[in-house]
Order: sequence, then structure tokens, then C-alpha cells
Amino acid sequence: MDSTSNHLAEPPALAIEEAKPHTDILPGSIGFGHVRVPWFEKLAIEQRVLAGFSLVFVGILVITAVSYHNTSILLANSRLDGRSHDLLQLLSNIDVAMTEAEDAHRRYLVTGEASYLDSYTKVVNQKPAFTNYLRELTRGSTGQEQRVGVLDRMMDKQLNAESKAIALFEKGGFRSVKNMALEGAGRRELGVIHQLITEMDSDERQAMNGRVADSAVGTRNTIVLLGVGAFLQLVLLAWVYYLIRHDITERRRVAGELQRRGELLEAANKELEAFSYSVSHDLRAPLRHIDGYAALLRKSVEESLNEKGARYLQTISDAAKQMGQLIDDLLVFSRMGRQEMLRTSVNLEQLIKSILADLRLDLQGREISWTIAPLPEVKGDPAMLRQVFVNLITNAIKFTGTKSQASIEIGVDRPTSAEIVIFVRDNGVGFDMEYASKLFGVFQRLHRADEFEGTGIGLANARRIVHRHGGRTWAEGVPDKGATFFIALPTRSSES
Amino acid sequence: MNAAKPILLAEDNPRDAELALAAMEEEHISDKIVLCRDGAEVLDYLYCRGQFKSRLKGNPAVVFLDLKMPKVNGLEVLRTIKADINLRPIPVVMLTSSREERDLAESYALGANAYVVKPVEFHKFLSAVKELGTFWGVINEPPPEGSRFSHPHS
Repeated sequence: MDSTSNHLAEPPALAIEEAKPHTDILPGSIGFGHVRVPWFEKLAIEQRVLAGFSLVFVGILVITAVSYHNTSILLANSRLDGRSHDLLQLLSNIDVAMTEAEDAHRRYLVTGEASYLDSYTKVVNQKPAFTNYLRELTRGSTGQEQRVGVLDRMMDKQLNAESKAIALFEKGGFRSVKNMALEGAGRRELGVIHQLITEMDSDERQAMNGRVADSAVGTRNTIVLLGVGAFLQLVLLAWVYYLIRHDITERRRVAGELQRRGELLEAANKELEAFSYSVSHDLRAPLRHIDGYAALLRKSVEESLNEKGARYLQTISDAAKQMGQLIDDLLVFSRMGRQEMLRTSVNLEQLIKSILADLRLDLQGREISWTIAPLPEVKGDPAMLRQVFVNLITNAIKFTGTKSQASIEIGVDRPTSAEIVIFVRDNGVGFDMEYASKLFGVFQRLHRADEFEGTGIGLANARRIVHRHGGRTWAEGVPDKGATFFIALPTRSSES
Repeated sequence: MNAAKPILLAEDNPRDAELALAAMEEEHISDKIVLCRDGAEVLDYLYCRGQFKSRLKGNPAVVFLDLKMPKVNGLEVLRTIKADINLRPIPVVMLTSSREERDLAESYALGANAYVVKPVEFHKFLSAVKELGTFWGVINEPPPEGSRFSHPHS
């Protein structure tokens, strides 16, 4: 399982390792690659890009909010300016109207001409509208509102004084109002009104100027903010672009490298295949000749052959046969390493049953008690896994051959979520744990050739298959007491 | 019985050839064997040219083909035989050391009639060659000469 965790841990570490020397892939174009911020170095490319885009997003939000705020102020100011212009216009209208009222009433008093009275009455009629409009236009500005109150009273006063004079005139004629006609009944009030209007006018103009200056500052700030903000966004975007581009370049390079290695591996595999092909064909021929000519020799000298000579000839052909077997086993071993693997569900219980059925003939004359526990289904290549269990079971049968009462047990050990451990236990000759590490080596044998036959490739083959399934193998044994062989298969299949 | 028809053995290795002949001798069919040392000779024989220009006309009872031979290899010979309308009926038995799946698949795909891996053990080799020689050279009835019944279109 170490190997799997290593595999998982390796790629990110590798990516960081390899990214460093390439940070100056664009020498001097953008300096960001050279800035070393420890916590930032730890971030993955995705996190960096996300951080970059988040900053751009926040920047856009800030700029939008500030611009909106400033523009609202500008809009409010321009609305106020419109009101101010209306107020100034109204004030000048009132000024004109009140002067007109004063003039018209005096002319009426002097001439008695009705048209002058009409002009005066028109102003009197206009007055409430003037007041209302004034109040509306000055609402919210205290100084002006107070003045409007005074102005209103003064206007009433003036108009009252004038209407009184007109009433007197109509009763007693010009004589009774002569002084008034000469001086003007509302002369004093008109003066105050005039002064008030001038004050209000200048106040309003001052407020307008203040607002204009205010708006100018706001507009300048907005422009500066937009400029600086846009520049920062561009810089950030350029940085993110650099990150992504750098990452893509890196990925492309790694992909190219992988492909190159894959091609090398494939070439190596092809070579190996050609090698094993010629081994299979060319190495077998001389062996066949050795055995064949030994047989022909035996036949042609049969009469004169003594016992020793016969034994020598037998040894020659035995050796040739053994080497033939070795070559065949080696070929199987090499084929197991490169053969395409199937991935299906394998019912181990049925697999074991069919193996035992096949071995039935070999077991004649043997006394073996079998204990086979319920076995799980595993994921893997049925033919390969069958080979594993054939090797383990024939080993168990072979190495219990010296026992009068052999027992072989197949079961499941320590079921964990990560792997399924299956064991094959026998009470045969066992082995010394000192040599346990040699058991699974190619052509490794712990027993002399004349004790037990075999080429020493079975367990190596089993281990190779189990490794290809992403599992592991090990064994425990006691000399003369028996041996247990374990194979652990991952529950989630993976090829190593 | 097809006693008259020869058995064509293509074998470049003289030792293998000698061992095969020794096996055939035990079955008394060694005199029917025509030995070719490479693929080119096999084709020369089948097409009655070169050293076989003046041989008696007619196809052999069977061709035993080794895969790996100089000049023209076994698969190429097989391809030529099975592509020729006159030669196609001849039974072809691959007799080789190769157990490779690729060779097996390709041989059968090209139309080989049998595929036999030469056993390393001489006894097994002996019995294999004997059985092959007896079956294909004696027991099996070869196709009649000039037969076109299997290809009515040509």
C-alpha cells in the first residue's frame, strides 16, 4: 500500500518542484514570477488564478460602488442647481411684481385709471402662488426658509398697506391719499423686500458655487479612481493570464514528456517481445536436438550400452527437458508481465472449486483434508488470478507430499476495507523464515531439486500477477510444520 | 490411401530434418518425404521450377511448414499457397517451435489446416511427427487433382 500512497503524493510535489525553474520563462516581461511569497508559493495554480480573479472582481465592485456614489452626488447637485435657478428666477419675478404693485397702486391713486388697479390686483392674486412656490423651492435650507417667512410677511404688509390706501382713495378721493400717493404706501416694505431678495439671491448663488466646486472634486476623484482601478485590473488580469499561460506551457511540456516516455516504453516492450519470441523459437531447437540425438544414440548403440552409459544418456535428456521447462516457465512469466489485463468480477470460491476439479487426477493416492472458507468476489483478470491460485495450491499439494496426513486450508484473513487478504495454508515441510524474502524470486528454490521438483518460478509468477492487480504477497512458515501464503488484493482495483 | 503422393517437409534446420526423418522412418514413410531447406524451395517445388523443373506433376499430400526459414518464411509460403487457386486445397500443417499467440493467430487467419508446436522432448516430438505423417500422409484423403468444385465461380 506504500506504493499507492506514494503515487498519490508524488504528482503535486513534482509539479511544484518543476514549476520553480520555469518561473523565469518570460525573462523580464512581467516580474511576478520572481516575487517569492512563502504562503503564496504553497498555493496550487487553481487557487492562484482564483485569487487573481477574486481581486479583479473585488476591484470592479469597489470601482462600481464609488462611481455610483459619486455620480449620485453629481445628479443630486444638478437637481439642486435646477431648483436654485428656478428660485433665482422666482425671486427676480417677485421683485418685479412687488415693484409693479407699488407703482400700479400709486398710479391708480393719482389717475384713478382702472387698468392700474387691474395690474395691482393681478399681483395680489399672484402673491399666494409666489409664496407657495418660494416655500417649495427653499424647503430643506433653513436660512432661506426663515427669509421666506420674513419676505412673506413683508409682501403681505406691503399689499395690505396698498389696499388700505386704495380703499381710502375710493372713499375720500385723491385728497385723502395724497401723501400716500406721493410716497407710496408700501415704500418701506418694498425696500425691505428688495433687500431680502438681494440677500436670498446672493446666498443661493453662493450655495450654487459651492456645489459646483463639490461636483468638480467628485468628478475628478471618480476619473482618478476609474483610471487607477482600470490600470490595476489590467495588471491583475495580465498576471492571471501569465499564470494560466505558464501553467498551460508546463502542462503541455509534461504531456509531451509523458508521451515520449510512453513511446520509449512501448519500443522497449516491443523489443522484449521480439526477444522472448526468439528465445521461444531458437532456444528450444538445440534442446530438442540434444534430447533427440541422445535418443538416437541410445537406439544405435543399444546392445553395447552399459548401465553407466545409459545413465549418462538419461541425464543428458533429463537436463534438456528441464531446460525446456525452464524456458517455458520463463516465457509464461514474461507474458504475465506484459499481457493485457481484464477487469471483471472474479468469484474466488468457484475459481478454487474448478482448480481442485482439474487437479483431481493428480491427487489420486493422496490423503488430503481440505478446509475452504467462504471466499469473496474480487476484481481482476480471471485467467491470471487462476494462475496465482493454481501455483499456490499445487505448491501446497507438492510440499505436503511427505506427510501421511496432509491438510490444506484456504481462507480470508483480516478483512479490511482497503484490501482482501486470502491465504493458503498447509502442514507440509514449511520453510525457515530467514529465507522468506527469497521465496518469491525468479528461480529461487528453498529445497533441493531431488527433494521436490519444480523450476522455482511459480511464486514469482504469483507475485507478479498480484502486483499487477495492485496487491501484495507474503508468506509465513515453520520448518516441518507448514507454510502459509498470503495474497492481498485491493478492494478498489488498480494496475501498478 | 494416397500412397503415391509425397509429403513436403520444409525445415531449414538439418538436425530437425534428420530427427523428423528418423521418426518417419519408423513409420516407413520416410521415402515419401521431399525435404526443402527454405521457403523458396517449397515454392519452387509447388510451381515445378528451378531444381524441381522436371519433377512429376501433382500436388503433395501435405506440406509441413516451419515458421522461421531463410529467404521466404513459413507465413509467406502459407500466404502464397492459400492465395493460389490450384494450391489452396493442399493441407498445410505448421510445424514450429513457436508457441506465440501472434503466430498461431496469423497462421490460422491465413488458412493453415493445423498448427503443431514441436515438443522439446524427443519422445513427444517423435510421436507427434509420426502421428502427423501417418494422418496427413496416409490416413487423410487429399483433395483430387485439379478439383474446382469448391470454387464454382472461378
